[in-house]
Amino acid sequence: MPNAILDPTGSVKSKAAKAAAPRAHRPASLKGARVGLLINTKQNARPFLEEVGRLLEEKYDVTLTKRTKVNFAVPEPDEVIKELVADNDVVITGVGDCGSCSAAAAADGVVLEAAGVPVAAIITDSFIPTADAMAALRGAPGYKYATTAHPVAVLTEDKVKERAAQVLDDVVGLLTDQGNGGA
Amino acid sequence: MTADVPDGAAADDAVPAAPDPDEAPDPDEAQRAIEYCYEQGWSDGLPLVPVSTPLLDRFLATTDKDPDEIIGSLEQVGRDVDVRTAAINAAMAGCKPEYFPVVLAAFDALMRERAARGGGFQSTSGPAPLIVVNGPIRQELGFNTAGGAFGPGFRPNMTIPRAVGLIVRNAFGIHPHVLEQATQGVPGRWSICVAENEEESPWEPFAENGGVTGGVSAVSATLTRTMEFVDNRHTPNHEDVLRDFQDTIGRIGSLIFPQTSVALVLCPEHAQMFAAAGMSKADVQNWLIERSGRTGREFRVMGKESVATKTFHGPFEGDDAFHAILSGPKQIPVIVAGAKNAAISMVVRIFGEWSGTAVPVVEKK
Repeated sequence: MPNAILDPTGSVKSKAAKAAAPRAHRPASLKGARVGLLINTKQNARPFLEEVGRLLEEKYDVTLTKRTKVNFAVPEPDEVIKELVADNDVVITGVGDCGSCSAAAAADGVVLEAAGVPVAAIITDSFIPTADAMAALRGAPGYKYATTAHPVAVLTEDKVKERAAQVLDDVVGLLTDQGNGGA
Repeated sequence: MTADVPDGAAADDAVPAAPDPDEAPDPDEAQRAIEYCYEQGWSDGLPLVPVSTPLLDRFLATTDKDPDEIIGSLEQVGRDVDVRTAAINAAMAGCKPEYFPVVLAAFDALMRERAARGGGFQSTSGPAPLIVVNGPIRQELGFNTAGGAFGPGFRPNMTIPRAVGLIVRNAFGIHPHVLEQATQGVPGRWSICVAENEEESPWEPFAENGGVTGGVSAVSATLTRTMEFVDNRHTPNHEDVLRDFQDTIGRIGSLIFPQTSVALVLCPEHAQMFAAAGMSKADVQNWLIERSGRTGREFRVMGKESVATKTFHGPFEGDDAFHAILSGPKQIPVIVAGAKNAAISMVVRIFGEWSGTAVPVVEKK
């Protein structure tokens, strides 16, 4: 009987790995909702999310709160998640336009959803595989988010606003039980 | 048979005797085992050494660590790596069992770096670990400490960084095109391990700068985005040579934030030239810290006003302001490597920051 060839992948999962993460219950409408913008500090992320927020204020009379991610490359620490949950009815995060920050946007989304807050994560379409892989690792395979064409960092101010307007319906769809936007 | 040398470490050995066909291993079985490893998705693209329990046990026997001890975590992907898994990957990479304490020290050193824990392995930059080895372990294990410092040709220099790469792939589950999103990546990723040429360095070993003194074997590690050579064998004036380094360090294409970090991997000839001019490592560092950078105009015409700012996301300092890019000695560590046969050195671009911490190599008591 020959020796077995050993598996190098290990079987050790850290506490960050989750079996299955539930999706938050959606409101019927964003009317008067408290909307948190979680800005990941990547170039153009702030104007992009602020424009999405402004359009939501106009259309749905939402109240905005803004904060920047502690570190764009990794998921937010527990205490920040707690504050986001306490302060907001829904959260919009992005713009995931790099390897680690797109994955982190998906991870933040899954964690906030499990804590009961609907999330619209916005990533650029170059990073769909890595966002999907991260969501699956976090116990939410098939997790839905919104995408916009890559790149975002080099867009002019006007183009950023155009993009924000284009993604708005998907964002609303993701955050409410109306439709299946962003799928 | 021809006198092929199987690896550089054996270069000084006598030509090996022709193998006895009855004693030779079964190549067909070996090939099946190698293909099996490919089929499991474990490989970085090159053949792996299939690992069995007896081989694993030889690796584990080189350390006092418990095989179950966790030696690294990547929180964002929810994966930990233990000593046993690291050993399997080191064996697969082609390491000898006695290299394993160096693999452990290298992995420890790398995982102490915020840039490695914070998404570096997933980054579009596709950064490569740069591993630096100091102390008597270099001779004991047959590291290349001389010419061709960045390889290839020497088993420990090539297989130890590969072991780190396989741990990232297999134990952390970071695969290209999925959680690894390198745009182009660094040539020679997972193969950069420099054993410092302490014998021809005029200065203290690099590990001493990282806190390990007394000639103890130690490993330091960081992530690098690439390296650029400075070939200057043209002048006896050391300040001319420093200006040549200053020019390369200030190359705008490599700058994305207001501050940057580079490692100077100096050839012995450059290092000795600076030392002969009375300069310590700190003097070389300070000379370059003071002068490395460009004017705001030079950044602006390349669309990089956002780099020429005092603070991250701060305002553009203006066309005429000189924007210094190195803020202190931590941003420009100095290592001596290579042969003393030409004045060719390397400016290594650090991904993020490098603490420079040296981790002692701990062998089994």
